Amino acid sequence: MKKPVNFPALTLSALAIVLLAGCAGQRETYVVLPDAKGQAGTLTVTPKEGQALKLQGAYASGVGKPGSAPVPAKLTEEEIKAAFAEALSARPDAPAKFTLYFREGSDELTPESRKDFENVLAEVKKRAAPDVIVVGHTDRVGLLQDNDRLALRRAEKMRQELVKLGLPADSVQAAGRGEREPLVPTADEVAEPKNRRVEMLVR
Amino acid sequence: MDYKKTSVLSALIGAGLVLGASQAHAQAAGWVGQVKVSRGIVQLERGGQRFPAPVGLRLKENDVILTEANGSVGLMFNDNSTLSMGPNGEVVLERYAYDSTTYLGAFDAFVKRGAVSLEAGNLANAAPESVRVKTPQAEIKGQARNFAVNVEGK
Repeated sequence: MKKPVNFPALTLSALAIVLLAGCAGQRETYVVLPDAKGQAGTLTVTPKEGQALKLQGAYASGVGKPGSAPVPAKLTEEEIKAAFAEALSARPDAPAKFTLYFREGSDELTPESRKDFENVLAEVKKRAAPDVIVVGHTDRVGLLQDNDRLALRRAEKMRQELVKLGLPADSVQAAGRGEREPLVPTADEVAEPKNRRVEMLVR
Repeated sequence: MDYKKTSVLSALIGAGLVLGASQAHAQAAGWVGQVKVSRGIVQLERGGQRFPAPVGLRLKENDVILTEANGSVGLMFNDNSTLSMGPNGEVVLERYAYDSTTYLGAFDAFVKRGAVSLEAGNLANAAPESVRVKTPQAEIKGQARNFAVNVEGK
């Protein structure tokens, strides 16, 4: 004869499951991660209700449960890496950066950079679904808005070369940064060949 | 000295014009990011329709990215910010605006569930707090360029 079903025990465990599910809710975990150089900043976690939590430094972590403000957690680096293993593993590769230089006041590459351009193409061929971001820069000789135009012109010239070589037009983007981001900081109106450049990011 | 003053003034006027031009240029691509890593079952939901999200798929604002139990995905945005997800995840790209000349803009991602890792790109150079993640319970932003969030699923 079969054992009769223990109804009271069943009901109790069903109730326990419902209670636990209700209490657990959706727990949230927040973690600060270091960058490639090992540096990390401060993160602020602001809940809908309650006080915000500040997390500072690499692997600082906090936990939030529904109905209460987030609190610091004591997760180790290893625990964090394990908990986020798949997400961390799915991070895209960093873009490969190539710097090419121009003749003064022009959108023509120097002879050396003409040769270096081939490295860009080699990298494009290595990537699964490549796209390229071309960013043009100038030195500080000339007016700000003239350099904005020159920087963009440099980027667009290189963009057109990539498209001519077969890259789909919507896979290459060109941007000009003018004088904003010199490789070698200088005073205004100082000629600096190292700043007359495009940076091509192959992603 | 006068020459310098005139040039600063015309630079300010010119900057406004150039900004307009570069804005148009930045949006010219029509997409805000791209799938660069796609493993297992990953889907995109756009305009009420779902379709697979393989490497190379272009992303738009308001796209929803979903991963199944065996799925994980890595996205790269126009400013080089990356967002990657583990399994059983759902993320909404609520907002993405980016000016490639000034690096100004905004990035809002809503993590509905799952483990998500974020690395802020150029947007954070201009303003670190312009890259923001929201979860069902909180808003996360700050000076930290790299961070991760996990929202446990039901």
